[in-house]
Amino acid sequence: MSVDLRQAGDSAGEIHVFADYDRDFNLTADAVVVGSGPCGAVAAYELAKAGKDVVLLEEGPPIIPDEFALDGALSMTRLMRDAGLRTTRGTVMPTMQAICLGGGSLVNSAMCIRPPDFIFEHWCGDYELGVTSGGDLKPHFDAVGDFLGIVPTPADVLGPRNELFARGCDALGYQSEPTPRNVRGCVGSGECFTACRARAKQSMDISYVPAAMKLGARVLTSVQVQRVLTRGARAVGVEGQVVAPFSGARSHRFRVEAREVVLAAGVVATPVLLKRSGNLANESGQVGENLQFHPGVSVMGIFPERTHPRFGATQGYHSLQFLAEGFKMEVLWAPPGVTAVRLPGMGLDFKKRLAWIPYAAVFDAIISTKESTGRVKARRRSLDPVLQYRLHPADARTLQHATHELVKIFFAAGAHTVLPGVTGISDEMTSLEQAQVLATAELRPGQFTVASTHVFSATRMHGDPRRGVVDETGRTHGMDGLSIVDTGIFPRSPGVNPMFTGMALAHRAAGAIAERL
Amino acid sequence: MLWVVLALVGIAVWRLVWGYPPHSHAALTRADAAFVAGASEAMFPAGGEIPESGVDAGIPQYLDTYVATVPPRQRVLMHALFFLMEHATVFFPAPPPRGWRRFSALSAEQQRVVLEGWRTSSLAPRRLVFMALRSLLTMGYFACPSVMRRLDLHPAAIDTPVVEADLLYPPVGRPRSEVRYGPGDLTHERPGPLGPDAPVHPDYRGDAG
Repeated sequence: MSVDLRQAGDSAGEIHVFADYDRDFNLTADAVVVGSGPCGAVAAYELAKAGKDVVLLEEGPPIIPDEFALDGALSMTRLMRDAGLRTTRGTVMPTMQAICLGGGSLVNSAMCIRPPDFIFEHWCGDYELGVTSGGDLKPHFDAVGDFLGIVPTPADVLGPRNELFARGCDALGYQSEPTPRNVRGCVGSGECFTACRARAKQSMDISYVPAAMKLGARVLTSVQVQRVLTRGARAVGVEGQVVAPFSGARSHRFRVEAREVVLAAGVVATPVLLKRSGNLANESGQVGENLQFHPGVSVMGIFPERTHPRFGATQGYHSLQFLAEGFKMEVLWAPPGVTAVRLPGMGLDFKKRLAWIPYAAVFDAIISTKESTGRVKARRRSLDPVLQYRLHPADARTLQHATHELVKIFFAAGAHTVLPGVTGISDEMTSLEQAQVLATAELRPGQFTVASTHVFSATRMHGDPRRGVVDETGRTHGMDGLSIVDTGIFPRSPGVNPMFTGMALAHRAAGAIAERL
Repeated sequence: MLWVVLALVGIAVWRLVWGYPPHSHAALTRADAAFVAGASEAMFPAGGEIPESGVDAGIPQYLDTYVATVPPRQRVLMHALFFLMEHATVFFPAPPPRGWRRFSALSAEQQRVVLEGWRTSSLAPRRLVFMALRSLLTMGYFACPSVMRRLDLHPAAIDTPVVEADLLYPPVGRPRSEVRYGPGDLTHERPGPLGPDAPVHPDYRGDAG
């Protein structure tokens, strides 16, 4: 039996959780937004604010603080797809996508950085974009920034790790600054990656999603969208199934009919959904192509004094000194068990190094690749993706440069030992002279241990419909009633952490959609 | 010829299933559990800078829980990882005597040498397999409260405030009628910065069970 939830007494502004579903159901709305991560949440809120009837769908459940796991690995099994163990093929690189209300905003470090204008100039010039300059996007960045209270990390929660990074950059004359974040009342627990127990991080589940609900948006969690419904060249809704939290066991079917389908399922899931829906919006052949990451390398430094690494903002300081050369440097802290994995050795030797952690800091660099590219494919008869990616040797040189700079910052900050984490060179360096190998050697991509949680461009925007999937407002080329607003629409790397840019673009897209509806 | 084949099959069966001690794990097989216990001790022997050994720290129990929690595809890969390393001594034997025995049957020193061989192998896939194993064991080691406390890496106690959103969401698996908080529960004073000497999270205190 199928029932129309609205006729059955469903009221606007409510959330539905797994235990609430007891039958198949149908809904109608002006707009259905698929995905409650940063981009989807902004779009849902802005559409609701414009007076539209909005349904926001999320495959994962809402997670309350009692359910936050302090252990990094167990936290990932609950909050990440594939238990946080997803990797690319080709160049094997871990990458994570969240599955919970609020998406990645629940488990990221809240970094909200505006790309400098030259990034958008490149976007406009290389991808035939007319209205995507820094100036064009400024009001959208401002609106999101004001809503979330984005401010630089306060001094009282920087802690020694972030202060040492600043000290090292200052000593070298490099630009650095406290990282702007969507946080109100940070306590410096360093636990951003396992969700904020202090409820200070303004993740979407405590910011945009409740705000959208107050404006009447209906939020359905534990629902997996399996197909976009079409009529001719027009999207008319979505359908799928209710899925149990964590196990993913499928039960009741649902359908949402809407005048606009807004996909914000994420760079990995959105192309798979389009392909599973009959290869939608793919006249260009670009759906799932041009996959880009920010491959990241991390370096650990050991200091003579305790760094109390568990205290301080997870990622509270960064440097844009080398952005034009293709990389950004920042402070990093992760759950200790995850941080320890990067240390070399085994046995008593390994334990000796583990005992260094209270004296350690970790800095990382994310690079904007120029030649590396990949592809998202759908696994056969499944919504699971296959990610192919190959790190190009030219980009490995940027990783090498970045690693060298991080090592220099450590020594400038007073570290006595630095662990560069590059296979084939010394595990430990105790002087800048030893680090010279990073300036002179020709290192191969396989020598770097890379990871990336920043993904974009698999449904990129392009002014030419033959070369991109969406236009500058996220509207798909060749398909009415279908927009994409996740970071898949970036034409290429934003140079910096992508969440803020994604939200700004979603803010603009929502305005355009609201005008059309 | 038939006798040779039967003998080989017999040896294979013996190697794969015979002689593992009984256990009460939920997700790990008997062979997995024996391998993980041996690998935990080789990776984290007792003594040194942190007294707890891998088994003292509860790595086998942790991995049993962890493997039970991950999705089926990842669970299969983990079983495959343990199986591969348990039996790869056929191709990469430990030093004599009888270095070709399964990993869990080797002496502690032989187990150490075998893992060292994986870690320093010139074959990148072997090093990758070692990294995967070491990652799992290390996460298990750091799940131990006494290890975390000893390194001053334990989480701090935080009085989690009740925010407006907490009035919307029930615990996972429960209906909306079971949302725990109402408007009267909202916290108006937020906690201040913790600092390096913040009190220890209750689960990580020395007297915690």
